[in-house]
Amino acid sequence: MRARFVRVPANAGSFIRNEKQMKNGTHIVLVVEDSALIRMGAIDLVRSAGYEALEACDADEAIRILESRDDIDLVFTDVQMPGTMDGIKLSHYIRDRWPPVKLLIASGAAIIGASSLPSGSQFSSKPYDDHEIIDVMTRLLASDGMSFTKVPD
Amino acid sequence: MSKTPAAHVEAASTLAVVLSSHEPLLYLTADQVIIAASASFCSAFDLELAILPGKRLGAVGNGEWAMPKLASLLEATAAGSAQIDSYEIDLKRPDRKTRNLVVNACTLEDGDTDHIRLLVSVTDVTDARANARLNDDLVREKAVLLQEVQHRVANSLQIIASVLMQSARKVQSEEVRGHLHNAHHRVMSIAAVQRQLSISPGGDVEIRSYLTQLCNSLGASMIADPDRLSISVLVDDSSVTAEVSISLGLIVTELVINALKHAFPDQATGKIVVGYQTKGSDWTLSVTDNGIGMPEGSSAPRAGLGTGIVEALTKNLGGELQLTEANPGTAIRISHCGSVDHHKDIRPAA
Repeated sequence: MRARFVRVPANAGSFIRNEKQMKNGTHIVLVVEDSALIRMGAIDLVRSAGYEALEACDADEAIRILESRDDIDLVFTDVQMPGTMDGIKLSHYIRDRWPPVKLLIASGAAIIGASSLPSGSQFSSKPYDDHEIIDVMTRLLASDGMSFTKVPD
Repeated sequence: MSKTPAAHVEAASTLAVVLSSHEPLLYLTADQVIIAASASFCSAFDLELAILPGKRLGAVGNGEWAMPKLASLLEATAAGSAQIDSYEIDLKRPDRKTRNLVVNACTLEDGDTDHIRLLVSVTDVTDARANARLNDDLVREKAVLLQEVQHRVANSLQIIASVLMQSARKVQSEEVRGHLHNAHHRVMSIAAVQRQLSISPGGDVEIRSYLTQLCNSLGASMIADPDRLSISVLVDDSSVTAEVSISLGLIVTELVINALKHAFPDQATGKIVVGYQTKGSDWTLSVTDNGIGMPEGSSAPRAGLGTGIVEALTKNLGGELQLTEANPGTAIRISHCGSVDHHKDIRPAA
């Protein structure tokens, strides 16, 4: 593993997995959102929580980024986006191809049936509260990934 | 067994009823020979009335009525072993569009078992079905559009909320940050109504779940230590219109923020209770805390934007604002008595 300069979050210490400790890294969150201002706000929110943020404006870009590196811990995605996939399809694609990546899905629809979301993913309705998003991210990143072992092909 | 149908005389009144029926009707012998057909049957299926009596059903027109399924069902009906109840069948004619028919048939018995008669109604539902499909499409389209609008509203509110929170994180001044947080709370309070509306199709907002959600989100973002400060919601089962709920939500937002900020400066614990009770068209909204109470005289702070919002919305709702010392703490009550019913479907005066 090549060394990277990363900020160590003050509040994420107890949640860092062994793998991350070896990398001496902080959790990396990929924000997928087509609206520029919401994306900017989400990135600011992720950084303020002490995580490193990456950004993509649609599913295709998100997949390119996921293919180009292996250190993304969580994808925080919008649902309604232009491009070949919406956020629901993207999250299923990620769950299939990169099972350990945690998923947080936000949408303007107040409720999305749990059945349409990949197992282990979390949902927030828009507009989301920053505290709620940080709480959910913290919980997702603290989980040990055991729930992903049963993911079907 | 109709051995001598020619000798049998049909009742003139029966024939007259069949002939004049608005619903396309056929009056048949047990072996499916037409005794009479209604004028409406002939005009619906483009047949000549005069030549029908005496013809077998299968020989009518160009033989398009010779449908094996229909024939066997009519045979079974005549024999008493089946009943045709809203049976759907397609009428196919050359150079014409297929028509969807609904067929009902029963036997007419007047005690004469040798002369069993079939009364068959044939309704062309092609156009009605097409209309129903069109209606379904329109309803579906409307639902899709509504959902689209809700998405847009949610996204717009998200942009506003995101920008406000980014500013709040970036500014240096604690006071300005406080104002930006308050603005964010107000936006989120309206957003919560939007959310309630999108999951309750009637356009009304269930006030208990709305205020609970609102107070949970206020608490989550403003209370650092939930063991120290708590907000509880005591609300009855009523629902209000969207406009009224927006006002009630904003009032609660202001009063709860105010209590969290000022009522418990040094207290070990504190409790805020948000209440909403109705009695007929009267209602009372209350926010009570067990904190230090309102400062008086020269130590009272200048009325801020929050006070202005509460007063303006109270007036708009036709309510009366009442502030009492709860010892300990403060009780703020907004009561509405009068003729304007804010509940259920009745829209308030603008």
